[in-house]
Amino acid sequence: MNTLQRAEYLAAAAAAFPILGPISAEDLMDVVRRELGHAEVLDGFARYGSHHTRAIAPESIVHIVSGNTPHAALQSVIRGLLLGSKNRVKIPSSGLPELSRFVEQLPLELRQRVEISPTVGDRWYAEAGAAIAYGSDETIARIRSRVPANTPFQAHPHRLSFGVVFDDPAGESATACARDAALYDQMGCLSLRCVYVREVERGFARHYAKILAAAMEPVCAAEKAPVRTLEEAAAILHLRSGYRFRAASDRSVALWESAGSDAWTVIYEDDPWFPSSAANRVVFVKPLPGDLALAVRPVISWIAAIGIFPATLENAETLTAIGPSRVCPLGSMQFPPWTWHQEGLQTLAGLVRWVDFEAPQAANSPEFKRP
Amino acid sequence: MSAACAKFLWESLPTVLSCGMGSGTSSTRLLERGVLKDRVRAFVDGRSSEGFEELILDVHAFQKSANPAYAAFCAASPNATHWTEIPAVPQQAFKNTELRSFPEEETQRIFHTSGTTGEGVGRHFFRDLDLYQTVALAGWKAARLPDKVDIALLPHPSEVPHSSLSQMAAWLADPSAFLVRDGALDAAALARLIGEANNPIVVFGTALAFLHAIETATPGSLTLPPGSRVVETGGYKGSGREVPRGELYRLFTEHFGIPPGAIVNEYGMTELSSQFYSEGPSGAHRGGGWIRARILDPGTGKDVEDGESGVLQLYDLANIDSVCAVLTRDLATRDGDVFHLLGRDPLAVPRGCSRAADEMLARS
Repeated sequence: MNTLQRAEYLAAAAAAFPILGPISAEDLMDVVRRELGHAEVLDGFARYGSHHTRAIAPESIVHIVSGNTPHAALQSVIRGLLLGSKNRVKIPSSGLPELSRFVEQLPLELRQRVEISPTVGDRWYAEAGAAIAYGSDETIARIRSRVPANTPFQAHPHRLSFGVVFDDPAGESATACARDAALYDQMGCLSLRCVYVREVERGFARHYAKILAAAMEPVCAAEKAPVRTLEEAAAILHLRSGYRFRAASDRSVALWESAGSDAWTVIYEDDPWFPSSAANRVVFVKPLPGDLALAVRPVISWIAAIGIFPATLENAETLTAIGPSRVCPLGSMQFPPWTWHQEGLQTLAGLVRWVDFEAPQAANSPEFKRP
Repeated sequence: MSAACAKFLWESLPTVLSCGMGSGTSSTRLLERGVLKDRVRAFVDGRSSEGFEELILDVHAFQKSANPAYAAFCAASPNATHWTEIPAVPQQAFKNTELRSFPEEETQRIFHTSGTTGEGVGRHFFRDLDLYQTVALAGWKAARLPDKVDIALLPHPSEVPHSSLSQMAAWLADPSAFLVRDGALDAAALARLIGEANNPIVVFGTALAFLHAIETATPGSLTLPPGSRVVETGGYKGSGREVPRGELYRLFTEHFGIPPGAIVNEYGMTELSSQFYSEGPSGAHRGGGWIRARILDPGTGKDVEDGESGVLQLYDLANIDSVCAVLTRDLATRDGDVFHLLGRDPLAVPRGCSRAADEMLARS
């Protein structure tokens, strides 16, 4: 089965999983083309300057995935299958039904390239041509210590994301913001946690928070109600009650919350400092400060994406120095393109090795130039 | 002042309770506070025919009239007609607000929280300590503990004037019984006092101090006389240690030579005036009749059913000088009118890959 056939089967299977967003065989082939330089370079030699080269996929890839963000697990396995590798996937002990269902959609030849287990033995690591791990810094450090030193290792540590509204006097981006915060109960590294709003006039950010609160209700109602632990629910309660108390006599903060439930919370705060909060659909709104880098300094090393409105190149340029690996329109934060440089790096290119073939050079070859 | 007299005085006062913030002069409120305090004391002493519900609604109304920050907080809620409707301030409000129901210049004592949660230090202001002392001693007695603490694994209040726990212990123990000095446990004095004891004694201290005592003692030197009691307050105060209650009590049994039932947990907090007590590793926490607990579903704010767990919200009649209703950060399981403490809600770490900003802030 060549790369294009694999891409077609994978896209067909992925179509049954809305959490992956729209995905076509061409999208997947585009990733191969852009990252590896040639769409068929995994299937055979392709021209590469004055000679030829071929990408060799790892025989097997070990994936250590999280249960709470199944889309990330599926994306990881899809990339491994696109390369043609065997994929050994360590899932959480609580299971990952989405992955099993996805694999069932695949033809036998690809199904046989996926092995799923809640445990991972040293043999998996020893035989791995590459390893990919999602998790906390501690989890990743533990896994890294088990992977042989010369095995390519991709780490996807926890990250966080936020939004910037540069110019939106009508608050038309609020529903997009709400979607970015609500999906996956705000637990994804691409979930919007806070939105900085440029004050076109004094008090506009607070006004935007109110609009966002109104948008949260229908957006959250349309999503599956999250199941929260007692500790998570208690954290929301404490956060809300703390801000509710402050808001009673402090105009610099305001609180909007879902009635009779902890479905969503919007907090406005004058202080631009990046908020420390639980996730679970708690969104902070703050005025965009003159020095955003200073406001987000405590978390600057962990920023994944910044959703913006309006999404213009000029606005994106103002944010690149802060260090995200992705700037995108608000409303699409949870659906990165397959070509996204996650962690600021290429995802496929880091997994393959290369073998070059140098054909006898002809004097009239277009790539050949005598010094 | 008798309860009957107090009630008469109360009824004869020009009431400001229903007039809201700003009504009544400072001196009127002071008188009002004094009368309320007497009514609460009479209730605690069992000399009153008043009910908890009636009293706490009056305390609440007084606090709304005397405490602008609390009044502002209550403004968003309908007037409470039942004690469960009294708006509870979050525990963290003591960290960023001066929750004082009396004039600032009359502050006699301020107790501080340990500030180990990274959210700053909470402060509880007192105009005087006599009601606090009354309920602390009455609660201790209600827990069927001996009148006197023989050994306090705590610093004396002269060394830590902002510690409410040390102050409480000072009402129960002689100054010489305090064995934590300059931040260190006097292990030699501990062994000596235990060695000299011929009759049952009471040892009172934080769980961390007990652990230090166990770790530094020579084998057998901590064995208490039969019938002795150990009262631990939990708390590891920024030590980074946390020993499960069952394991802690096993260590106590092993080193102090007392049965698990002789070990008592005192549950209190700087933000409150009254305490709860439990016996043994699985005993339920009970308080005096002047403090009540509700276990709330954090998602709905409603009381959980018996056997279910939730967030602990407390109503303390003796908190006259601040706010009587406090939403704690502790989780508990409801057991009728009592509760089983599950402990401090660990600021929940999101389960997904969205990193907890707290964690990052702590590291940066």
